[in-house]
Order: sequence, then structure tokens, then C-alpha cells
Amino acid sequence: MNIIEITNLSKSFKNIKAVQNLSIKVKEGELYAFLGLNGAGKSTTISIMCGELDADEGTVIIDGIDTKKDVQKIKNKIGVVYQKSVLDKDLSVYDNLQSRAALYGIYGSDFEKRLKELSELFLIDNLMKRTYGKLSGGEKRRIDIIRALIHKPKILILDEPTTGLDPQTRKLVWDIVNNLRKEEKITVFLTTHYMEEVTDADYVVILDSGIKSAEGTPLELKNKYTNDFITLYSVNLEDVQKLGLPYEKLPDAYRIEVKNTKEATKLIMEKPHLFVDYEITKGKMDDVFLSVTGKKLPGGLNK
Amino acid sequence: MKTLGIMIKRNIKLFFKDKGMFFTSLITPLILLVLYVSFLGNVYRDSFIMNMPDILLKNEEFVKVIDGLVASQLASSLLAVCCITVAFCSNMLMVQDKVNGAYQDLLIAPAKKTTLSLAYFISTFISTLIICMIAGGCCLGYMATVGWYMSVSDVFLLLLDIIILVTFGTVLSSIIGYFLTSQGQISAVGTIISSCYGFICGAYMPISSFSEGLQKVISFLPGTYGTALLRNHAMQGAFKELERLGLPKESIIDFKNGVDCNIYFFDKQVPVSTMFVILIGTVIALIMIYVLINLIKTKKSEKA
Repeated sequence: MNIIEITNLSKSFKNIKAVQNLSIKVKEGELYAFLGLNGAGKSTTISIMCGELDADEGTVIIDGIDTKKDVQKIKNKIGVVYQKSVLDKDLSVYDNLQSRAALYGIYGSDFEKRLKELSELFLIDNLMKRTYGKLSGGEKRRIDIIRALIHKPKILILDEPTTGLDPQTRKLVWDIVNNLRKEEKITVFLTTHYMEEVTDADYVVILDSGIKSAEGTPLELKNKYTNDFITLYSVNLEDVQKLGLPYEKLPDAYRIEVKNTKEATKLIMEKPHLFVDYEITKGKMDDVFLSVTGKKLPGGLNK
Repeated sequence: MKTLGIMIKRNIKLFFKDKGMFFTSLITPLILLVLYVSFLGNVYRDSFIMNMPDILLKNEEFVKVIDGLVASQLASSLLAVCCITVAFCSNMLMVQDKVNGAYQDLLIAPAKKTTLSLAYFISTFISTLIICMIAGGCCLGYMATVGWYMSVSDVFLLLLDIIILVTFGTVLSSIIGYFLTSQGQISAVGTIISSCYGFICGAYMPISSFSEGLQKVISFLPGTYGTALLRNHAMQGAFKELERLGLPKESIIDFKNGVDCNIYFFDKQVPVSTMFVILIGTVIALIMIYVLINLIKTKKSEKA
């Protein structure tokens, strides 16, 4: 079942076309990734989904409800983790979560019960009385995610949730999200420009200047937009050059580009003496993005 | 209602925990206090005793009343400024929430925009009232040590003045704050209010000392009548005492004119009851404007 259906969505700000004729379908329980540079239209799409902005054209249906018809109901189904922490830095974690829960009509024993559930899941019992602004980056992100989940939403929107975080905290965030998907079967809608974050997604959409440029599973995208690579160890340059294929010198090896896995197999069969120590890998999401948009994404480690 | 209550609690806690915002709100009253302690108190005292017959000045009781009069002028000035500047600083939380993204986070939830606006309004009123009542208590304490001439009804009326002025400050800051969206705007409004309000309400210098044209302009500002109400209720006991000690009525009228107890609207003296009507009427009108702004904005966003 599709939990999000966006059809022919367009939104402009004066002369800037932020989103152009975008159509996507997100299945329930999926990790759906929106990949694009800043200004690609990711945040605009999220703002329309959350009812903060109105679309110029097109429809957005969340869990069967049209955003134009009953945005208040949709707000109960969505939890958002923003790129920047937006909780009150001077209040305690408990006070922050209490005030946000109240906005969803969750008070008293219902609030305490939900807080206990989340506290056990995220191991934050010792943080409750601490001032939010004095928490570490990782602790803050955990609380941000709890805030987004306080009303048991069906969809968790992560708007560039790890931008500016150190690698350890990024890993922590992803461990939490993966655990959440397992435990609460929640749909995760992710926007990011970090490549390693989309390789684990069920489905990826690449946005470029408001236009959907490519979509598919990470494997489909890699197969479609990049070649395969054979990394050859313990060979000399002369042998590699004799293959007549594009290559890249690595510290202890050579990375040879081949069209696909079939061609790699053929090459191994033809020159078995060269393939004593080797590995075959798909192209990276960086390569996919470069191939699709002609642009390089900044930051991130590659898988 | 529970949502409203929790949001009010959130806003009040944030105001008192944000030391920057809290102390900024007290800057103007503190400046006023420093001015009085350093020279303004003496200036007023000298101006009060100037041209007084020697026989009265030799009377210790009379001199004590004059000291009490200076103290009550300080108290009324301080409270007049406090009620407005504290309200503005407290209500800047609404703008700060917009600037730091917290407001976006609040709106992502299904709670109504009007509930959030009402929460800001009520929390500003409560925070400001707490501070102004504490300031009022300190002022009454100070007046008691210098010379106490207020009746019980004067005290109650003074507290009523504070409540009305706090409401006025709250609604005025709510309307202005509604349209502010950046840190620069917060700073600009904060600076203007802190530096200008003390002058235009007659807290730093009596309105009677301004030029005639400026006096006419100021007579159109409702805040002027708030200051005048505070002055009347804080000082009328001392004036009665002066009268009892033999100061002629004409001199007392001059006194009252000089310290803005008497306000003139195009040469016509405005009675105290009319001052109440003007201030309460303004508050009601401003509340209606604020409600209207919220309704229009909510309807616009619903339509869009």
C-alpha cells in the first residue's frame, strides 16, 4: 500500500521553480530517500507534505488523505526531524517533550506512558531532567527523534538529519532509525546529500533543480547509471594497460572499469592469470549522481 | 485548554530561564533607577522645594513629605516603564521562536495557530505581571521607608493601574511582534522601546517640561494616561498631606501639573476617570485588532 502519493507536484517562489511536476509513490514501511543538492527541492516537497506550504499544482495524499482537504489529520500521521535542532535549549528534555506532546493532545498519564516507551527504546531515562541545550550532539539528535515520534506517527520524515554531525553521531542516528523501522515498522522518508545514507534505502529519487532526474532501488540505479569495477591486486601496470580498459591507480591495486558483471566475468575467463587476487564491485552512488546530474555531491563517505 | 495551559507554562519558563531576555527587559527600569539615585532625585527634590516659603522648609514633617513625593514619583515612573518594556521583552519569545525554527516545529503539530497566539499573549501577561508586581512591591517598600502617605484604596488603585498597563503592554507588543520575523527586527524594536518609551511616557522627564507641540502629540498616546494614573495614585496621598500642612491649593495644582498628575488634552484637563476610560478603551480596541489579525491570518492560510 502506498502511504505517500505525490502527483504532478509543482511549486515556485517568484521566478524560482522549486519543484516541477514531481510524482512519487512511497510504500508503507519503506526507507525512501530523496537525494539532491541544496536547492534541489527536497525541503520544499517536505514542507508541502507537512502542510506548511501550499502546492501551486498537483496533489499530495498522505495515508489516503489529501493535504488540501484535511491537513490537520495529516499532521498526526507525520513526525519530522529537522536538519537543525528546534527544541527549546533552555528547557529540560522532559519539559520539551511535554510541551510538544501537548500540541497533539497527549497529556498526563498518556504522555507518561508514551514517554516511558520511547525512553526505554532510546535509553534516555538519565537525560530527562537535563537541559536540552547542554546535551551532546548525539543526545540532542536522540531527543529530536523522540520528539518526532511522541505522537506515534506512521511516517518519520528525516530532513537531512545528519548534516554537520560527526561520523560517530551519524552512525548512532542511523542505528536508531534502523532499530525503529524494525520495532515500530515506521515509514522513513529521508532527504540527504550523503551517499552512504541512501545505499541502504529501499528506493531512491534523485532530484535536480526541482525535477526528478532518476529513481529506483540503489542497485537499479547503479546498474543503470554506472559501470562495474574490478579491483586487481598484485599485478603490474603493464598487464593492466594491456587490457585496454579505463583504469585508476589505487595505493595497492588498480581499479578497472568494465561495462557490467557479464563483461567482468568474460574478462576473467580470458585472462585468468591476472585474476588471482581481485574483487568486483558495482559503481558508487556518487557515480550514479554524477552520471544523472553531471554534478558532484559534497561530503559523505562512499560505500 | 490543557494544550493552552502547557504552552503558557512553556513560554513563562523560557522567559525566566533566558537570562538575556530577562535582564534586557529590566534595562530601562534599571537606567531609571540609576538616573534617580545619581541626580534626577535631587533635581526633582530641588525643583519641589524651590520657591517654597522658608517657614514650610523649616518644618521637618513638610520636608519628609517632599521626600515621599520624590520617592512616589520614582515609583510611578519605574512602574510606567516596567509594564511596557518587560511586556515587549517577554513577547519577543514569539519572534525568537520564529527565528530559531521552534515555531515551525510547533506548527507541524495539529494544534491551532490561535492557541499558540493566545498562549504567547497570556504568558507575556503573566510574566510581565509577576515582574511588575514584584517591582511594585519594592517601590511600595521604598516609599514606606522614605515616607508613606498612600491610603489602602490608593494601593489597590495603583495595583489596578499596573494590571491595566501590563495588559496594554502585552497587547501592543503582541500586535507588533506578530509582524516581526528576524533577529534584526527584534533588536531594533527592543532598542526603540527601551530607549524611547521612558521619554514619551514622561518617566525620564515630566511631559510638562516638553515643548507645547510635543506635549500635544504625547497627549494622543494612551500610554501617557497610564503614567498619569500611576502618578495620581502614588502621589495623591502626599499631596493631601502637603495641603494639610498648609501648602496653598494653587501651589498643589502647579505641583500636579509639573509632575504630570494633571494631563491636558488641548488645554482641557483630563479627569482620572477619563484616563481609566481612555486606557481601558485602548486595551479593548487593541485586543480586537489582535484577534482580527489572527483571524485574518488563519483564514488566509486555510484558504491557501
